[in-house]
Amino acid sequence: MRHILLVAATLVAAPPLVAQNPLTARDSALHALNRLAYGPRPGEADSVAQLGVMRWIERQLDPDRIDDKALEQRERAFRILHYDREDLAQRYRDVQRESSPPHPLSASRRGGMGVRSEFRELGGQLQQLAIVRATFSERQLREVMVDFWTNHFNVFVGKGADRFLVPSYIEQTIRPRALDGRFEDLLIATAESPAMLFYLDNAQSVAAGSEPPRRSSGFFGRRRFGMNEMRPEQERRRPTGINENYARELLELHTLGVDGGYTQQDIIEVARIFTGWSIERPERGAGFVFRDWAHDHGTKHVFGLTFHDEGKDEGIKLLKFLANQPATMHHISTKLCARFVADEPPDGCIDAAVAAWQKSRGDIRVVLRAIFTSPDFWAPDAVQAKVKTPFEFVVSAVRAIAADPDTTPRLAQMVARLGEPLYQQPAPTGYAETEAHWVNSGALLARMNAAVALAGGRLPGIDANLDTVIPATTDHSQLVSAVDERILGGTMSAHTKSVILNQLADVADPLQARALAVGLALGGPDFQKQ
Amino acid sequence: MSISRRVFVKAGGLAFVSLGLDPLFLARAAFAQRGPTVQPSNRPTLVCLFQRGAVDGLNMIVPHGERLYYQERPRIAIPANEVVDLDGHFGLHPSLAPLKSLWDNKSLAVLHAIGSPDSTRSHFDAQDYMESGTPGMKATADGWLNRYCDHDREHAETPFRAVAFGPQLPRILAGTAPSLALDDLQAFGLRVPQEAARDRLTRAFEELYDGAGTGLLASSSREGFEAVQMLKRADPTQYRPTAGVEYPPGRVGRTLLQIAQLIKANVGMEIAFADCTGWDTHVNQGSSEGQLSARLRELGLALSAFSRDLGDSMRNVVVLTMSEFGRTIRENGNSGTDHGHATAMLVMGGPVNGGQVLGRWPGLDVDKRFEGRDVAVTTDFRDLFGEILARHLGAGDLAPVFPGYAPAATRFPGAIKV
Repeated sequence: MRHILLVAATLVAAPPLVAQNPLTARDSALHALNRLAYGPRPGEADSVAQLGVMRWIERQLDPDRIDDKALEQRERAFRILHYDREDLAQRYRDVQRESSPPHPLSASRRGGMGVRSEFRELGGQLQQLAIVRATFSERQLREVMVDFWTNHFNVFVGKGADRFLVPSYIEQTIRPRALDGRFEDLLIATAESPAMLFYLDNAQSVAAGSEPPRRSSGFFGRRRFGMNEMRPEQERRRPTGINENYARELLELHTLGVDGGYTQQDIIEVARIFTGWSIERPERGAGFVFRDWAHDHGTKHVFGLTFHDEGKDEGIKLLKFLANQPATMHHISTKLCARFVADEPPDGCIDAAVAAWQKSRGDIRVVLRAIFTSPDFWAPDAVQAKVKTPFEFVVSAVRAIAADPDTTPRLAQMVARLGEPLYQQPAPTGYAETEAHWVNSGALLARMNAAVALAGGRLPGIDANLDTVIPATTDHSQLVSAVDERILGGTMSAHTKSVILNQLADVADPLQARALAVGLALGGPDFQKQ
Repeated sequence: MSISRRVFVKAGGLAFVSLGLDPLFLARAAFAQRGPTVQPSNRPTLVCLFQRGAVDGLNMIVPHGERLYYQERPRIAIPANEVVDLDGHFGLHPSLAPLKSLWDNKSLAVLHAIGSPDSTRSHFDAQDYMESGTPGMKATADGWLNRYCDHDREHAETPFRAVAFGPQLPRILAGTAPSLALDDLQAFGLRVPQEAARDRLTRAFEELYDGAGTGLLASSSREGFEAVQMLKRADPTQYRPTAGVEYPPGRVGRTLLQIAQLIKANVGMEIAFADCTGWDTHVNQGSSEGQLSARLRELGLALSAFSRDLGDSMRNVVVLTMSEFGRTIRENGNSGTDHGHATAMLVMGGPVNGGQVLGRWPGLDVDKRFEGRDVAVTTDFRDLFGEILARHLGAGDLAPVFPGYAPAATRFPGAIKV
């Protein structure tokens, strides 16, 4: 009921809002497509303007009602989606066995690097899948939020068992909760996820002095499973005390924020609460397990709360508490506004998001709606004020020229070359949102090269459909107008126009002229912004 | 790059605003006037090689004077008669023999038992700490080399000030100060096969971004194209190695050759960084021959070639090797070694207090070991890194580079001549 009322309130509020915003309907549509989506596909700014930008935003906030069959069709080609965590754990163990001591017989019998290369291929598919989804999904806002939360709750695919735990982290932990439900649901899901438990070492955090009931019953008792991070020598060394890593990042990065007002003693208490939150051994699927023997059964005091021997419930209680602390609301709202409004977001939109959070107990779509209806979001200052991240740049370029990638990680490699290899940020901070982090001379040259390569249409694994976007023509001013309209959404500066026209002056071949014009448009400064 | 170039570029920037002239035009004119010269640069350069995967410090710099070393490593110890002795107690792995002459002429020092105060044995965490420069603090966003550049802006005018060889900027150079990731010296810039087409496209993008105003996009693009033009003018690839010097095949040799070319081309490079992989020797590590030996041979030949290639220019160059941690004292059941704690680092170059093994050696006795099994850390890596920044590159204030630590001269291990 409350949900319906809020929708109604928003729709009613829309006209005065648009009245006080000086953007035209088309500029508003373009702005929304740049922020809530990965940029417009050809003609999309017009169709969104026609529908009404606020109505389009409401649809994006309710993604399950949007038909996404075209994407589902494409997803079927990705074998990685056919494997669950158990399958991948098994394959990973096969890879590990393959790289154990070279044995003349086993090497020749197995015939080289089959399992290993298959595993590597699956890793490439995982990255490419993120790009294909961001490119083709009609549920654009959900994809943007998947990227946002994946980055907020960062895990590093290169760390030991996370090589096979990340796919299920994306599919089962992040994606179903990116837009639907409350922040606390997502927070609890990440806390229980094997990928996070391994990445931030909570899987090996045990109460001081605790002993497993029998030898080799747990993840660490196994000897045959030779992950890089855990060689037999270390596996024999059973963890003997708490590990604070998850507790620290939970407070500093996931919830309260670095200035959230907690102490080292708080971190220790939080770590004690999470002792026993661990992972099953890989041959049993590497799923979440609460090990009572490893849990600290003593009383913990933190943030004015008392936890007394309530087992796993202690952690759940703490996560629900943290999820709705004022510091958390402010921290996450600021990050959301940095993503959707400006690198240094104004207070107005942050306050609006925090107020919505308080009212809805952190309902993600309610918080987002508050941002999208705040005057700061629609301020002319906010338009084109952010530089695209490498991921946003590549996806928006592919959308702009209606290119059609397959499952090979060609575009994923391009994103990596531009500095943002997906799932490969080792630091738990995730990637930065700010311009200063992404714009440097080498990275810009790399963007120009990527633009020229995409426009040239000769990248293997990517079907270019430029004919459907910009018909080849010998009329250069018509060509440049088409590029401006269809690719830059009419934002091409007079300077850019004249530079491109100048360059085209002596290019007779219409295909060459088109490739040059599109390459310069995608690689130029206008397209780097959103 | 000399002072005069800096002035020219600055003047060029002004001219650009007032007369609509391209600062690159002036920069190029300045460059053409001076021409690429082969004179040794006066700018100090630091070359960092990261041995990712945790090198076995005990088989790289062998404590052949220790009975326990042989006792703990029956299959993989380097036989005493094959070690290249340094000081009667330590010696080089035989594959590093090409470095002996550098030790003898006092331009190679070894730091043993160096590492992180953090006890992690995860490659990922330990590399992260060594690059962020904040052991134990995972949330540090930038790297210590970048913080140095950011804090000490005197040389910021050249796009080649800090160069990482590889497709991406490594963690150690992440941050707000501009730095360049350079995959291949010859392919840097726009990738268009024909030179005429490439020049044309370059010109077009330059114009596009010059019109973008004064923001970071415009300035970064200018730096990028300045780098491209500087490279074209200076043509570092024209600098073939000094007669008789041959770099070994492989990535390390190729990278050090390119670093030498950039140093000779005098483009103002202060920091060069490169990865050097393949040290995670859990299985069949080998002894005088084998897996580790092959990696060390390539490294030793490449460093030796680099030093001979640069010749007199080495007086302003320091090469530092680093690795996230060392390996277990005792060999494992697979004739390899597992993740340990302290390791050894090499410091090489003209400014180095060479010919000595620095740092306090804790010995291999069980009660002196870290957690009963690994070489204990007696030198915090920040003390060595800090000393090199202060005494070689002339960093004034190390506090912002290593927050929460601030290396003090009293703790410097003494790797650089004062």
